[in-house]
Amino acid sequence: MRKSLIMMLSLIFVAGALVAGCGKSNNSAEPVNTGTTNGENASQSSKVEPFELKMRHIEIGEPNKNRLARLEAVKQKTEEQVPGLTIKLDGVDSEVNRKDKLRSEMAAGNPPDIFDAFGSPDIGVYAKEGLVLDIGPILDELNLKERFINLDPWTYDGKIYGLPKGGSIEGYFYNKEYFAAKGLEVPKTLAELEALAEKVKADGKVPFAQGSKDAWVPLMTTNNLWSYYAGADFTAGFKTGESKWNDPKMVEAVSKHQEWVKKGYFKKGELGIDYNSQRNQLLTDEAVMMYDGSWASSVFNDAVDADGKSKFGFFVMPPLNEGDGFSSMVDSNNGYGFSAKVADDPQKLEAVKAFIKTFFSDEVQLQSLKEDGLLPSMILSEGDLQANAANDLIKEIILRMNELEYKWPAFDALVQAEVNTELSSGIHRVIEGVQDPQAMLDALQKVQEEANAAGE
Amino acid sequence: MNKAMRNPLMYALFLIPTFIGIVLFFIYPVINAAFYSFTDWNGIAKTYNFNGFANYTKSMSQNAFWVSVRNNGFFILFSVFIQVPLIILFSLLIANVKKLKGLYKTAVFMPSVMSTAVIGILWGFIYEPDIGLFNNVLGLFGIDKVYWLSDRNWAMISILITNAWQWTGFYIVMVLAAIISIPKELDEAAMIDGATGFQRAMRITMPLIMPIVSVVIMLSIAGAMKAADIIIVMTKGGPAGSTEVMATYMLKHSITSFKYGYGNSIAVLIFIFTLIITALYQVLVVRRTERIEY
Repeated sequence: MRKSLIMMLSLIFVAGALVAGCGKSNNSAEPVNTGTTNGENASQSSKVEPFELKMRHIEIGEPNKNRLARLEAVKQKTEEQVPGLTIKLDGVDSEVNRKDKLRSEMAAGNPPDIFDAFGSPDIGVYAKEGLVLDIGPILDELNLKERFINLDPWTYDGKIYGLPKGGSIEGYFYNKEYFAAKGLEVPKTLAELEALAEKVKADGKVPFAQGSKDAWVPLMTTNNLWSYYAGADFTAGFKTGESKWNDPKMVEAVSKHQEWVKKGYFKKGELGIDYNSQRNQLLTDEAVMMYDGSWASSVFNDAVDADGKSKFGFFVMPPLNEGDGFSSMVDSNNGYGFSAKVADDPQKLEAVKAFIKTFFSDEVQLQSLKEDGLLPSMILSEGDLQANAANDLIKEIILRMNELEYKWPAFDALVQAEVNTELSSGIHRVIEGVQDPQAMLDALQKVQEEANAAGE
Repeated sequence: MNKAMRNPLMYALFLIPTFIGIVLFFIYPVINAAFYSFTDWNGIAKTYNFNGFANYTKSMSQNAFWVSVRNNGFFILFSVFIQVPLIILFSLLIANVKKLKGLYKTAVFMPSVMSTAVIGILWGFIYEPDIGLFNNVLGLFGIDKVYWLSDRNWAMISILITNAWQWTGFYIVMVLAAIISIPKELDEAAMIDGATGFQRAMRITMPLIMPIVSVVIMLSIAGAMKAADIIIVMTKGGPAGSTEVMATYMLKHSITSFKYGYGNSIAVLIFIFTLIITALYQVLVVRRTERIEY
């Protein structure tokens, strides 16, 4: 009898533990009362269930403090619009989020409700599996669909699955004071840029600040070089098989990059320097120019001379021949996507709608331009743009963008992920000088062909 | 109660929670990884195709994969032949100090409670070419700058030193516990017989702590095979893949490339390699050591 009792109790304990472990958590607090109530009935009807929206962002660290402040303001406004809503922010490093964390969450089928994402190719892969929310109906309802400059990277199979936070252009930030002191001028051709680098190097400075620990940083330069050598539309042909990585023009472009490394145009040991440190090279006058995206302009906000003018200027990588037309990456590939699961919960769907309405507004776009030099992803008037460009550096960036003859998306938006991985390893080998460009590009072409054959 | 404990079913009952845990968190993932390693699953899609041994043959044909295997080998060799002797040396020294033993124990143990990310950043400053401690010291002797983390000749050894710094203290405390548990009479008898400090350490202490040293070596091997975090923080596998280990290779070529099937094949290979190395160690070293009688 006693034995049976112990057995029974043990079984109940184990079963209880299992049930508790597998049970659904329901830790939500009591319904909250919102708004003013004049009686019990009114009180009952205005009670709403508190709920939480998880949001993954990448606005971490000192360089992103303005972005985070704007996001927190949007969070607060959105919470005010939707009764019971609490948005829980989760800040993660951009690379970690894009390449590790978000993909793991997608694999588990459980991404955050709102998440920072890259349009192409990432969002297409997620959309194909039904993991992200089709926001077309929301954009129609909010009359936002026609307000964006370019939603192509966020469109898959005719449906829109995310929105870009801003636009960007890549080029050289340069030390204006140094240029003026040494009588240097903004180059009009690639040969002039190289001559400029030689002069800077002879002066004991680093011509181009660069931290190549993350391969995408040097690849910005390489990408611009091949847009001149092989053509602005060449990258789009890799996936279709029309363009080859080991094309002689591509070899020429990558060889040029390697030549610059060998000539000492970048700081020695660049492969061990991280992205944020390259900005310090420019800010501390160790280097004179830095190839980066316009998103980096906020770092130079405080670097002004006695007249309040920016110490730094911006120019686009010049063409091979004068008058050939400037070519640069202009992109709107980084933004926010939304979990498909949001559609199953009317409260969350309402919250996402409120977030989109608040975040993708003229106010936030202009604030982003003013505070961080983040170019808009939405169509805004030229007057608004000039009025809100907080300093002459940002005005210069807008001017340079208007002068562009060739605009193209970054290569990683146009090739498969494994091609990007191989190219990332390859450019490191080329920079280190352990592999010549031809061999690197031959190997890359092989990976490209495998990916194309697999129909990815 | 005693009668109840004689019932074999009771034991089975108590084992259920642990058994469920092992199945859920070990057996199922291993079987799952082995299953997907024969597919072309991208990690996101609901469908996939079986591709036989294609993932395995692909990894075996990649030079970068063998570089990562070699680097795991460096981790093991460094642990066994440099780190472990140092662990024993410092353990013997700390065990024999008369004053401030607690301070020494705490000091050596401290790095192992720090997060790897913090240690990676901290040592990143030490290795910094322009202002780092190491180059400043070398500069005093007129030695040129060494690009510790960006020169392929130095990057791996730099990581090994950092990793050893992080974990040596943890193992020292383990070995120290073994030394302290040795009966004092043995040491005193040897001292009366005229044995020197070195002789006592080699002939008495060492043989008696060998089982713990053996465990330390096993843990070091297992740690070396799954090393990833310190590399991700310090070099991200660079420069040019020279510090890539199997785990970082797997991350880079699977999750970041939407190639989970391929990544699972690497995971299975890590599992197999670890099994082989630990089995070899057991057969060749541990069992032979255990046969020795004192």
